[in-house]
Amino acid sequence: MTDSQPIRWATTAELTIATPEGVLFRLPLAGPASRLYAMLLDIAIVLGTVNGVGLLVYRIFAKAPGYGVMVITLAEFAIGFAYGALLEGFWNGQTIGKRLFHLRVIDQSGLPLRIEQAWVRNLMRVFDALPFAYLVGGLSALSNPLMQRFGDRMAGTLVVRQTPLVAPGEESWTRQKYNSFMDYPTIAMKLRRAATPELASLVQDALRRRNELASYARREIYRELATYLQCEISPFPDELVEMLSDEQYLINTAGVLFGDQRLSRVHR
Amino acid sequence: MILDLERFQTQARPRWSSLESLLAALEGRPDHRLNPVEAEQLQELYAQAAADLNRVTHGALAPELRQYLERLVARAYAELHFVPPTRSELWQPRRWLRIFTVFPETFRRQSRYFALAVLITVLGCALGGLAVRYDPASVDVLLPANYLRNPGQRVHEEEQGKNQDLHSTQSEAAFSAQLIRHNIEVAMLAAALGVTFGIGTALLLFENGVLLGAVAVRYTQQGFGLFMTAWLLPHGVFEIPSILIAGQAGFYLARVLLRRREDRDVRQSMREWLVLIAGTAMMLVWAGMMEAFFSQHHEPVLPYGFKVAVGGAELALLTVYLLLIGRRKTDAEAHARVLSENK
Repeated sequence: MTDSQPIRWATTAELTIATPEGVLFRLPLAGPASRLYAMLLDIAIVLGTVNGVGLLVYRIFAKAPGYGVMVITLAEFAIGFAYGALLEGFWNGQTIGKRLFHLRVIDQSGLPLRIEQAWVRNLMRVFDALPFAYLVGGLSALSNPLMQRFGDRMAGTLVVRQTPLVAPGEESWTRQKYNSFMDYPTIAMKLRRAATPELASLVQDALRRRNELASYARREIYRELATYLQCEISPFPDELVEMLSDEQYLINTAGVLFGDQRLSRVHR
Repeated sequence: MILDLERFQTQARPRWSSLESLLAALEGRPDHRLNPVEAEQLQELYAQAAADLNRVTHGALAPELRQYLERLVARAYAELHFVPPTRSELWQPRRWLRIFTVFPETFRRQSRYFALAVLITVLGCALGGLAVRYDPASVDVLLPANYLRNPGQRVHEEEQGKNQDLHSTQSEAAFSAQLIRHNIEVAMLAAALGVTFGIGTALLLFENGVLLGAVAVRYTQQGFGLFMTAWLLPHGVFEIPSILIAGQAGFYLARVLLRRREDRDVRQSMREWLVLIAGTAMMLVWAGMMEAFFSQHHEPVLPYGFKVAVGGAELALLTVYLLLIGRRKTDAEAHARVLSENK
């Protein structure tokens, strides 16, 4: 890996990595808000633990409270730094807060982070937390395309979003037996060529969330989408469109964009 | 070009799910280690998933599928290319104990940054000392605490044992913990401020120096030089060098930052920074205990000569430790390397 470092470049919200094998993939970066929530949760956990341990220690040292104070003061300090460093170092780049908010710290080349990197980024918190409420770290993250605070810059790490994804399953529009758009292969091909991935996922999302939408909202959204597609992308003949509801129009569109067995046969 | 996305997914789904379960198993292990069978399996599944990703990226409108495959490929890539630390490296206590030899070695390797830290502190001392010596008005500004400003009163109280109630072993224990914590925080800040290209570190060291110089001159001026030496020396011989070493780590960090593009191994460079901080923390634990349990006792309980002698002995030990420990080994290694290169 020393002589074939992966090439990486970042846009505002993601890091793109091109591996030596010629594979290109993107990692979504974590925004400041979710990192802040995760950090607040971690702080709460540390404080809770320290106070819990504190009660126990005071009970043990009931006759010698001075030693109790000593143990607590040092334990609080050590746990405060070691919590982040050890958990991130040994638990796949995640603290409890990060795991709950689906965040993960990784090396900026896309590899898991090492224990020394975890220590560096956590010790640098004393600087990032200046002058109050992580102002320095927050400004650093906002001004950096990789959203790194100073600790991340020095450790060569970054925080990515890692929401669990499942492989897309079978969709309803692939089950329909007959798609009237397929009778017009030229227009259907035009639709496939002209549709951008964003537009395609918009149609997909609109159909998938059918039952989550209130009926008036669904009507409105479907009408707008269908009108846009019909007027701007692929004008199917009026006699066909008049017979279709907006929803059926979108289902047919999705069938052309994602299903397309028949289209390929016609095209062949 | 994928013409039939659904068929493509149906065919590929089994291999994606086996890659997923293999990854989940690997990520659950703290050392991320693979056995040869798993490595082969992972390599094969990774190559297939990467090929699938390429087909989806270039040939189909399937943003969700693409996103899913990207995550899968990213995870597999990470597991495949990561060189994990060996288990023995992580769990052998002997390796952790090596910090006691690695620290002085690192200290000597980066000694020029230590020299810079000393220089800035000495400049601060000189300024603080001269200000108190020639401008009595500056005393109020430089030494805000009353016990620093009026040594006579302080010495009198201490020697009369007026603060004796504060000196129970228990309150000393609590006090030592606060000192350790505060000092380590300051040291870490000095080391982390290196990220301001060393300017923050320099200011912190300079301020520290000014205070030190001002106190020293004020006490000496009023004839309490021996009291002050006996008061500061037993813990100061560890505390002051450790802040200087923290400054050294700060300047070293600034150097790493400036040389980032040329540096072939930033990770190794940052490891040296961590070692310096770890060493500083160890020294400050000792300093905190000495300050609470030993330095705060004065004559007639502890003769000043004895306290100064203890401080001197500590300084001698620290000097020997920082300058000599680990040296023979590195020399032997260097010698061996030269020999092997000459062969």
